[in-house]
Order: sequence, then C-alpha cells, then structure tokens
Amino acid sequence: MRGADYVLKRVAFAIVTVFVAVTINFALFRLAPGSAVTNLSRVPHATQELRQELRKQFGLDKSKGAQYVIYLKQLLHGNLGISFENEQPVATNLRVALINTLPMVTLGTLFAIVIGTLTGVIAAWRRGTPTEALTVSSALSFYSMPTHWLGLMLIIIFAGVLPTGGMTNEFLLNPPFWTHVKDLATHITLPSLTLGLVLYGEYTLIVRSAMLETLGEDYILTARAKGLRPWTIVRRHALRNAMLPVATLVALSLGYIVAGAILIETVFSWPGIGRAVYEAVLQRDYPMLQGAFLLLTISVVLCNLAADLLYFKLDPRITE
Amino acid sequence: MTASGMMIEAPSAPAQTRRGFVLRTLRRKPAATIGLVILVLVTLTAVLAPVIAPYGLHTQVGPVFGSPSWSHPLGLDDGGIDMVTLLMWGARISLVVGFAATLVSMAIGGTIGVLAGYFGGAVDTVLMRITDYFLVVPDVPLMIVVAAIWGPSLFHIVIVIGILLWTGTARVIRAQVKSVRERVYVKRARALGAGHTRIVVRHVLPQVAPLLIANTVLTVAVAIFDETALSFLGLGDPSRISLGKVIENAFERAAISSGAWWAIVPPGAVVALIILGCSLVGGALEDALNPRLRVAHLSARTFRLRPLVGRSEGAL
Amino acid sequence: MTPLLQVEGLHVWFDLAGGGELHAVQDVGFTLEPGERLGLVGESGCGKTTTALAIMGLLPPTASAAGRVLFDGKDVLAGGEATIRPHRWVDVAIVFQGAMNALNPVRPIGSQIVEALELHDVARGAAARARAGELLESVGIPARRADRFPHELSGGMRQRAAIAMALSCEPKVLIADEPTTALDVMVQAQILELLDGLCREFGLALILVTHDLPVVAQLCDRGVVMYAGRIAERAAVDELYHRPHHPYTRLLFAATPDLDDLDQPIISIPGAPPRLDRPLDGCPFRPRCDRAFERCAVERPELRGFGDGRTAACHLDSLVPA
Repeated sequence: MRGADYVLKRVAFAIVTVFVAVTINFALFRLAPGSAVTNLSRVPHATQELRQELRKQFGLDKSKGAQYVIYLKQLLHGNLGISFENEQPVATNLRVALINTLPMVTLGTLFAIVIGTLTGVIAAWRRGTPTEALTVSSALSFYSMPTHWLGLMLIIIFAGVLPTGGMTNEFLLNPPFWTHVKDLATHITLPSLTLGLVLYGEYTLIVRSAMLETLGEDYILTARAKGLRPWTIVRRHALRNAMLPVATLVALSLGYIVAGAILIETVFSWPGIGRAVYEAVLQRDYPMLQGAFLLLTISVVLCNLAADLLYFKLDPRITE
Repeated sequence: MTASGMMIEAPSAPAQTRRGFVLRTLRRKPAATIGLVILVLVTLTAVLAPVIAPYGLHTQVGPVFGSPSWSHPLGLDDGGIDMVTLLMWGARISLVVGFAATLVSMAIGGTIGVLAGYFGGAVDTVLMRITDYFLVVPDVPLMIVVAAIWGPSLFHIVIVIGILLWTGTARVIRAQVKSVRERVYVKRARALGAGHTRIVVRHVLPQVAPLLIANTVLTVAVAIFDETALSFLGLGDPSRISLGKVIENAFERAAISSGAWWAIVPPGAVVALIILGCSLVGGALEDALNPRLRVAHLSARTFRLRPLVGRSEGAL
Repeated sequence: MTPLLQVEGLHVWFDLAGGGELHAVQDVGFTLEPGERLGLVGESGCGKTTTALAIMGLLPPTASAAGRVLFDGKDVLAGGEATIRPHRWVDVAIVFQGAMNALNPVRPIGSQIVEALELHDVARGAAARARAGELLESVGIPARRADRFPHELSGGMRQRAAIAMALSCEPKVLIADEPTTALDVMVQAQILELLDGLCREFGLALILVTHDLPVVAQLCDRGVVMYAGRIAERAAVDELYHRPHHPYTRLLFAATPDLDDLDQPIISIPGAPPRLDRPLDGCPFRPRCDRAFERCAVERPELRGFGDGRTAACHLDSLVPA
C-alpha cells in the first residue's frame, strides 16, 4: 500500500495523543487543587451509599499511582463513572447527549461547508470586482460575531416563527411520525443555522485563498492554452486542487465544532454534549465533566487523524 | 537572472524595507485602515469611559429594561442602568482581559517559538511535541473546566485564556525563526563569535517582529471572544462588568422574552466590531508578509483590448 | 501567399500592484510562414514570453493588449477570448518550460492528453486513449506510462509528454517557450532533436522562445531579437550570428562562450535593462551600448530595413563587422 508507513505513523501519533489526553484528564480532575472527586464533602446531596460507592470506585483510599491504574482499567471497560446528578452511568448520559448533538452539528457544518465553498469560489472567480468585496465582507462579519450572541440575535428575529428552545415540543405527547419529524426539524433549524453562519466565514476565506493560489499555477495556463473554457478549467482542474487544503481544514475544525456547540446548546437549551458540559460545571458533577471532556478530546484527535488520512488519500504527491 | 516560471509574476515596486513595514501596510490596504480606525475608536472610548460616560455605572436611571429614548439611545439594562454607559465600561474590561491574556499568550508562545526555531534539534522536538498536544485539546471545554475548578476572578480568566492561546503563536514564530536563522548575516554573526542572546535580539527578533504583531492582533480577537464565552457561561468574574457579562446578565434576566433586544444586541455588536477590527488588521498584516507572488491566470475578467497605437509595424 | 501567422503592432501592458502600468511589449511585429522556424531571443524580462503568450491570447486578467494577430489573414485578437479560443491547440499549441508545473499534478498524463483529444473532437473514449498512447510512443515514452502522474516522471520525460500533448490536435504552429532551460545538458540535446524531427515530419512552423543562443542557431531559420519589450533586430539566424547589425545582437552573440576557443575572454554586457513602467527617451539600449552617439539619447530608433530581409532598430547606418 502506498505510504503504509505514513499511515502507521499518523495512527501511532493519534494513539499516543489519546493516551496523553487521558493522562491530562486524570491529572486535571484528580490532582488539581479543589478537585471535588477527592474531596467528597463537596459532592452535592450525596447519600452515604453513594459516597461509599464512589470511594470504592475511584479507589480514593489508595495512592495516586494506583488510582491512575484503576482509572485506565475502568476506561478500557468503558466505565466513566457515575454521574453525581442523576446517578446514571456517565457513559450512558454521554451517549444520549452525543446522539442529540450530532445531527445539529452535522447540519450546521454542512451548511457552512456548502455556503463557504460557494462564496469562496465566487470571490476568487470575481477577483477585483465588488462581488468579491461583498462576499469577503459578509464572511468576515459573520466570522467576527460571538457564537452565542448570534444565536440570541436569531432568537430575537425568529421568535414566534421558529421554536427557540429545546429539541422537541414537550407538550406533544406521542405524536404521529411525520409530526414528530416536523417538530424536530423546526427545532433544529435555528441552532444549526447559528453554527453554520458562525463557521462559514472561515471557509469562505480559506477556499478563496486556495482557489486564487491554484489559479496562479502553471497547469491552469496549460489548460487555457488547450482551449478549455474558463469555467470548465475551474471545475475540472482548479476546484479539485483548491479543495485539498479545504478538505483537511474542514476535518480538523470538526473537532472544535463540537466544543463550540457548547455555547449554542446553552442558548437554545439543546440537550446535547455541550449543554451536558455546561450543566456538569454548574452542578459540580465531576464524573460527567471528566467523561465529557475526555470524549471531546478524543473526538478532536480522531478528527485530526481523519484529516491526515484524507489529505494523504487526495493528494497523490504525498508518499511519506 | 533566470527565466524560471512565466513572466506573469505580479510586477511590483522595489522591495520594502523592514522598518515601518507595519505602518506602511496599515496605511496602504483599505481593509487594514478600516480595522485600525475601528480599534482606535473603541479603545479610545474604553479608555476615556470614566470621563465621557453619560451616566454613572451603578446609577439606576429608569425602570428595568427601559426602552430606548432620546436620553438613553440604547435603553436600560436589567438594573435600570444606562446601556451606553454599560457598553463603555464593559468595553474597558473586555479589552483589558483581551490584551492581558494576549500578553501572556505572546510571552509563552513567542518564547517557545523562538527557542524551538533557533536551537532546533532536541529542544525543537520536545517543545513541538508539547505544542502539538496542547493544540489537540479543545480549548473551550478546557477553559470551562479550569475556570470552574479554579474559581472565577479576572486574574484567573486572563491566565486560563493565555495558557490556551499560545500554541498558534509558537508554531508561527518557530517557522519564521527557522527561516531567519538560515540567513547569511546570522551565520556570519555566529562565525564572528556573537553570543546567542545577541543574535536573537539584534538579528532574529527584528525580522520576526512584524509577524509577531500580526499574530498578536489576531490573538486579541480570540481572547476577547473567549472571555465573552466564559462570561456567558457564568464563569466570568462576577465583580467586574465586561461586555460578555452584560450579555450574560441580559440572558439570565430573560431580556428576550421581555422584548428588550437593546440589552443584548449592542454589547455583542461591540464585541463583533472589536473582533472584526482585529481580524482586518491582523489579516492584512499577514497577507502583506506572505505576498502572493503569482497572479491568477484566470478569473471572470479577461485581459482588455485597446485600440491600435500609432503606426502599426507592417511585415517586411 | 499570406503568411501563416502575422503579428502587427503588438503592445502588452500589465497593471502594477501599487498602481501604474508596465509596458512589457512595445510595437512588436513579425511573420511566420508555414514550416518556418523562428527564434524569439533576448534576456529575461525582455518581453519574448509575453509576446508568445499574446499570440495565443493567454494573457492574465491584469493585462491589456493592442495590435493585431492574424491567422491566415484573420485577426484573432480583436474579439478577445471568444475569437481566439477556437484557434488554441488546433492552429497553434505551446510547450512551456520544463521546470514548470505545466501538467496537472493530480491527474495522470494520459488523461490530460485525452482531454485535449476529446475537447477538439479528434477522438473519444477508448480511441482517444489509444491515440494518446501512440502520441506518447512517438515522443519516446512507453504507452503503458500513460497512467503515471507527472511527478513520477523525470524532467525530460515530462517535457516529452508536454510535447506529445501539444501535437495531439495537429496544430500548424508550435510555440516552445524555453523548452530546454532547467533540463540537464544531455536531456536538452534529446529534446531539441525531438522538436527538430517532429517539426520536420509534420511540417510544423516553430516559434522558439529562448535566451539560449546556440539553441536558436541549431534549430531556427530566422531570429527576432528583443530588448526591453521592443524588437532590436530581425534577420536570418545566419546573419544574426555572423553579421549582426544591432550592437545588442552583436554583444549577445559574443557573450556566448565558445567552447572551441577557450582563450577568448568572456564578455558580458554591463548594466541592466531599463524599467518598463515609465516612458523612455531615445534608444533603450543606449546606456549599455558601446557604439552610442548623441542621436541615440534623443531619438528612439524605429525598425528599418537593411536589405536581405533584415530589419534593425538602430541609428547606425552600416553593417558593423562582427
């Protein structure tokens, strides 16, 4: 396989990074001062049984080193601990939250990619015209808006037209399938629109830059010399090459998008990972916090790995 | 002189000197000028807030969420305090946090970047591995966690933000230092026995400065955004009023359902303006430092035709 | 009989990044007969490449042009992109410098030749792929290499592939822009031989753009010497080589070291070409000319004939012995 050692190197790096992240996670929550996992008196409304359970589970009576080993073993079994708040396994809570977050984030990202690419190509194509200035200014403006503020603005604008909170309408009991789908769709619109608008600007600028760079390449001149029409050249030769950096940048930013969703989910009361983190902070639910944090970190590492492999696959010039 | 590449290199004026590069770029590019104007205006307003604020910061001058009027163009917040006053004072804190956090980040990132780039080898590898790991950890969650554990205070916020932003700077500075290090005059200085410190200060830093400035400006934008985010999530310093806090207050007190959009829109708009200004200036500087050498062969416009000039040369 | 290609009064300007214009090509004209080999010579920046590109209308959006480019008597430049595009590759094709990224790095070389064939309806599908293979064979590349990417080929082979692609639609004129620069000496000779053979076999007219004079001497019938965007001299290659009129031509040919006479001192032309972003008084070559006199500083010399098909832009009246 071409460049097998390149792939192996990247995978190895990812694994090591995950390991480091896990360790940092442990250090942060167990070793940091004021760490409530160790200080059980800080756990709100903890029953005696829960305290015993916690003590046993986390091995708090043992040394730090032993705790670390216990922690690793638990992770390998998918045991992220028990949430203080609802006394459910953290892993279960996170799974539910993740399932809620993913559609919203995916929709928003798709919107950003599509609009960003479109505007970026247009801006590069119409270089030096007012169209370019307009697209770039819009991109910059949206890019500069704080995520949560934009969400609030959209709520102000669309209040009454689109639902502004939650994932579903709680007053609908056992709705028929299509009503349910419509309900979800209306609820998901504003949060994902917010994400899309905040993200797309960066993509516009990157696509525009990559496209301009590509359009200055020698083989574009060759394509022109061959008699190809300008738009055909853009479609067949420029787009493919200009998309190379974009493809990886998108894959890379996916990791951070999940993190940025925290703000959106708070504004729109969306029951996803972001809000789980926020509420865990408020309630000092440290197992949840630790688990969520680990999940987010691993997702970033995986996205980076995906980006590396994607770039490797798309560009035949990379052999090592 | 070689005829490498096509003659379609963008013809330009003779190479610019390093000195005054930043100022020259800011003057020339319209985007940068606009950005600079925005930043100067906001900063001046913030600095002069104690003098020019129309009302007292803690003085209630009307009902909760009072609507805009002639005497209060932007209405009142949830405590009956004039919004314009709040914005001015809020900008102060936001800018302070932004600049301070950026300072921390620049100090760490710049140092690491210079050390890694200048010394190379093992030092470089170790520092870069550390940077890579920091890069991978998502900053917003980490900030939330650290702020939650450490407790809210302006100082903590600044440190937290600063610690997370240094990675971008470190990478960029390292790349630049590496290329500068290879330059002839640096090698000459080494050969003449100049010490490392002297070389770094006299030769490397001046070359790296414009890039550092560009990076600083862009980092300020992120720092201010991060502060806004932290405040919104309730992790900001409760005793200080930043623009983020203004938004958070309004959100908490259900400004939207009260229809008091003026409590939410203006503070965020100011933050957006600051970030926009920083992006414009920083972006323009970065562009100027990495000029695109090639002109696009293709665009919607094509080459223009002019009428025949003078006497045309017939074939002989 | 009308010449195959006529260039008359060609001017090209480039917009400068800080404002203003660069007058890169000034009043250039020449003709090309079928099967004729023309060398376009001069130092870097003299405008020879821009002239070649202008013939095919391959100027960037930041350029403006004036003048006439006539194919078989029809002006193709006047209508801009629309009138010139039908002629590209079918009437005139171009091969760029070997060091360039002239082939798309993410597509196999065969597919890029097929693209040309299908675009101009020479062949489609499997027939096109077969034809591409034949073309590659004719330039010395095994047909099975058609699915290789450009970076998998050596510089010389990339150049051959580019030549194969240029000939795919059987043009009447081939423009070769610095085809041998940036190639090894051995490979250079091979490429030149290839060009020579192919042009002879298909009766192609050739415009060879280069600063490398021995190449021109080897391959071309006539030569056009350019300096600072203008034509300095136009004559048969033999004349340029042995009896150059324009002092620049003389110095240019003298500056080429002669490997047969190693005791000869190496001559270089001191100074640099003038800036093209502002108008110039007098002869552009005057500051570096060893034969300049008062008139040269005041009045710009126009191209005039000196008999035997030679024209030169110089105030000197008699043929200067080499």
